[in-house]
Amino acid sequence: MGFVDNMIKRSRLKSPWIVHFDCGSCNGCDIEVLACLTPMYDVERFGVVNAGNPKHADVLLVTGTVNHRNQHVLKQIYEQMPSPKAVVSIGACNLSGGVFKDTYNVLNGAYNIIPVDVFVPGCPPKPEAIIDGVVQALGVLKAKMGLGPEPVTTFMPGDEDGTPDMTPQAESAPEEAPEKPLQNAG
Amino acid sequence: MKMSTLVFCCVALPFIMGLVLYFTQSCSTRKLIVPAAITIMAVAAVTLGANGAFRLEVGSILGLSADTVFSVLDLLLLVYILGIGWKLGSRLIMGMTLLQLVGLLYLKFVLPGHEVPITAFVADGLSLIMVIIITVVGGLITIYGLGYMDLHEEHLHLRVSRQPRFFAIIFCFLGAMNGLVLCNNLSWMFLFWEITTLCSFMLIGHDQTDESKANAQRALWMNVLGGLAFVSAMLFIQKSLGTLSTELVLQKMTSLDVKNTAILLPFAFFCLAAFTKSAQVPFESWLCGAMVAPTPVSALLHSATMVKAGTYLLLRMAPAFAGTTMSTIVALFGAFTFVATCILAVSQSNAKKVLAYSTIANLGLIIACVGINTAASMMAATTIIIYHSVSKGLLFMCVGAIEQRIGSRDIEDMRGLYGKMPRTAIITVIGIFTMMLPPFGMLIGKWMAIEAIARATQAMTPIVFFVALGSAFTVLFWARWAGVLVSSSKMHEHPTYGHPKPSVMFALRSLCGLAVVFSFISPLVLKTFVEPSVSGVYARFNMQAEGFIPGATLTGAEGYVWIYFLFLLLGLGVWYAWREARRVPESSHAQPYFSGLTEVKDGVVGFRGPMNVFEPVRVSNFYLSQYFGESKITRAIDIISTAFLVVLVGGLL
Amino acid sequence: MLTIFSAIGGLILSPLVGGLLTGFDRRITARLQSRIGPPLLQPFYDILKLLGKQPLVTNAWLVFSAYVTLISSALSLLLFFMGGDLLLLFFVLTVGAVFQVVGAVCVPSPYSNVGAQRELLLMLAYEPILILVFVGFAMCTGSFSIAAVFQLDQPLLLKMPLLFLALGYALTIKLRKSPFDIAASHHGHQELVRGVQTEYSGPYLALIEIAHWLDLVLILGLCAMFWHTSVVGMAVLVGASLFTEILIDNITARLTWQWMVQKKSLLLGMGLALVNLLWLYVA
Repeated sequence: MGFVDNMIKRSRLKSPWIVHFDCGSCNGCDIEVLACLTPMYDVERFGVVNAGNPKHADVLLVTGTVNHRNQHVLKQIYEQMPSPKAVVSIGACNLSGGVFKDTYNVLNGAYNIIPVDVFVPGCPPKPEAIIDGVVQALGVLKAKMGLGPEPVTTFMPGDEDGTPDMTPQAESAPEEAPEKPLQNAG
Repeated sequence: MKMSTLVFCCVALPFIMGLVLYFTQSCSTRKLIVPAAITIMAVAAVTLGANGAFRLEVGSILGLSADTVFSVLDLLLLVYILGIGWKLGSRLIMGMTLLQLVGLLYLKFVLPGHEVPITAFVADGLSLIMVIIITVVGGLITIYGLGYMDLHEEHLHLRVSRQPRFFAIIFCFLGAMNGLVLCNNLSWMFLFWEITTLCSFMLIGHDQTDESKANAQRALWMNVLGGLAFVSAMLFIQKSLGTLSTELVLQKMTSLDVKNTAILLPFAFFCLAAFTKSAQVPFESWLCGAMVAPTPVSALLHSATMVKAGTYLLLRMAPAFAGTTMSTIVALFGAFTFVATCILAVSQSNAKKVLAYSTIANLGLIIACVGINTAASMMAATTIIIYHSVSKGLLFMCVGAIEQRIGSRDIEDMRGLYGKMPRTAIITVIGIFTMMLPPFGMLIGKWMAIEAIARATQAMTPIVFFVALGSAFTVLFWARWAGVLVSSSKMHEHPTYGHPKPSVMFALRSLCGLAVVFSFISPLVLKTFVEPSVSGVYARFNMQAEGFIPGATLTGAEGYVWIYFLFLLLGLGVWYAWREARRVPESSHAQPYFSGLTEVKDGVVGFRGPMNVFEPVRVSNFYLSQYFGESKITRAIDIISTAFLVVLVGGLL
Repeated sequence: MLTIFSAIGGLILSPLVGGLLTGFDRRITARLQSRIGPPLLQPFYDILKLLGKQPLVTNAWLVFSAYVTLISSALSLLLFFMGGDLLLLFFVLTVGAVFQVVGAVCVPSPYSNVGAQRELLLMLAYEPILILVFVGFAMCTGSFSIAAVFQLDQPLLLKMPLLFLALGYALTIKLRKSPFDIAASHHGHQELVRGVQTEYSGPYLALIEIAHWLDLVLILGLCAMFWHTSVVGMAVLVGASLFTEILIDNITARLTWQWMVQKKSLLLGMGLALVNLLWLYVA
């Protein structure tokens, strides 16, 4: 049984199926994500398949600032993914709100809604960075399964001091997103 | 037990019980008499079947010669139908009945009498298994009718119960059917045939609404047309062969070297009679219209027994026209009916209509097998007759029970029935699977049919084309119905059970169990009833058993092995799957995927739509009525089938 | 006794063979698209990963259907290896296909339901063709039993070329390849999210996938029967069929069901089959 268990654990790392959700992005990050699937970057060599269905996916790629409406969708997609799963936050908007931080409709990034495992900064990040992000997510999964060490956070140049606090705040997310009517409905 | 007593119990006793029930006003007395009578009849039928093939002479009935009694009854019946035609103001019915009367009188008085006294009842395996089916399946449906009709009359707010009339007619019908399959004399068969026509007319119009009266009238004129064809056939046969005994007719026909058109003409008329009785296209409208009748009627007459009378007649008469072009045309016609009605069934969402079209389709398949006229195809035809009756009767009963509970017979309204009526839903699902999946008997019959068709020598290619196409269409409408019934958004349903009438549940459960067990013992059934009957036909009538490959049929040792092997493995697999399904914990539950907007409100799953409004989920089957709908293709089907009939009869004239 | 053991052995090997063939499929598809593609053993990693996922399903009937689908596919493959009756094999195969649809219809999800309806239309397209191909087999060998094929000394391909092409249609549909992948396209392609397989997840999707592999082995086995006289011939036929399927997949777009049923698959496939059958019948 241990052998089969081991095989299953290793297979998880070799076959990450992704579901990609756009939480109000300008589509720049989305184009880069889809570019990963093209022959140029060919992410299928790592076994990555874009299953559009959270029930079939292991890794959730999120882009875009999150707003009051699609936070529910994001949460549901996350919940409908069977475990073990990982979340990769892509693009400046999804990390912290990016250029739109603290505007009236924006909820400053996915980490406020769901637990995020890997952050991929950039506007938009290059496909190579996104692929690296997915690989790091696999490292997180590996660590969770006890097969490898915790992945080391790579910092961007200039982030060494005064790193902003990026711990996931999903649990303590401010419940300031009640059922608001459409903001621009008069 | 004396053979005559058993036959009496099967044929005459039902008529007597019918009379008794007509005068039984009390509901509780009826609920005692009906099961008792059914039990006696069923025991008699099974004993009859167990004893094997027999011949029975009936010299006199109540002091008069049997022939006289039957002739008088024939004429009285026709006069009665004439009276009905007059009351309805239908010149069509009156005209055809008058012609029948004239024909019958001509037959009795003008044409020379029989050369040899005719044995009254001759039964082989086919007759015996049909008697068992009629009595047991018909009996269970009648018991179902007890509970069903109570509720039915409650729904209609009837002050005076019409159940005495209902059950009287049902019992007369059961007796008539038993007589039909047992008797050897064609004019007696004609009496029973017309009694079934009359019973059908009276039962379709039972509720006396305008719609049911119109449909009853349509059924009557189409069946009377069949009766006219029957009389014409009898006239021609008496004239050319000089006898009305089925046995002797077949002996004479099969000893002929050349079958010229004149001698085949009566059999074309028999085909016409069978096609009207079995509601083949272009006569299918009466059967679809007959669905307005109370469900026991649909289950008993219009799927399990009466419509089988037509196919029974053709199967009996098949050796007479074996090897002729007429036979090939009949086969093509049957195959065409099969595919046409399967396509029509796909477009229907009314459950009873789906079942009606499916019935007609299977009858078409039986007729195709009859037309192919080899030993293998005859075995296939008999197998399908047997197993189709059981499964279809069960399905009709289920639909009736469902309709009474949810008030609708539309498949879309049965979505999620497992949560409301779990036992009935499961029985319906089992019924659907007995109709279309291995290892059940119906599938075995279809398997034998396709094998027989592939070995046929004439016109095989178009027939197999039609049957292959039709078979694919059947999977469509059965599979989606089964899925709809068990639809649910909860992991394990914990439904509140309803309180169905005990007789209804008893009948449903028994027939469901019977269907499964009967399929399980299919090699035994085939060996005891079907194979002897077919090989008996071939032996008695000196026909070449072409296409009859003993080792390949299911009655050989090889056959037993395959069937039981399949049953065992599939059974184990299904049991394992069921166990795994039950063990799935509630924590594994997830709502369906609605692009992340799933919401559950008041136990109904749906999604949050625009303006944050909850939208309940709305899913439906593809009925594709713009391609396969009745309005689109019925006309074309009717034209093509009428052309077939014209070729069939006209080609011989 | 020996036959049943070798049949069971064949059955145990079949998922491995099926997975490997699927791996080849993805690799060759990738190469045709100027990509590198996943490793050959990728399908096995996928299945193992799916087996280890937390099951998340809507109702227990889905679980039941997934198991029965796999069991039926396995049983029909077992029948094939035991040299049984082709028609019986076909009907047992139908059980699996029907249960996959029933599992999809029993979830109140629009993607799943529409996918299931389309899957039924796909079944409508390939089932008559399969029956006609089997009838062709029977006409050539005199029996529906697979064992009878091995008693002929000439390859069936000579007598039934058009039926082989018709079988190609059935193969395309069964493999869920363009242009007939309207119900649930294979990896990497989405149609209605995942169409008929949308609500199957985790271990149950793995079961469906293994059933799909077994079906693949079965249909390729049927293709191989067309050149039973030499092993090289069989390999060539199977390889050529598979490669042609992959090629067609990459160069065609998805059809609507009307196109598929009316023009492309059903009528054309059946037409080819009919012509061949008539030719056999006359000969």
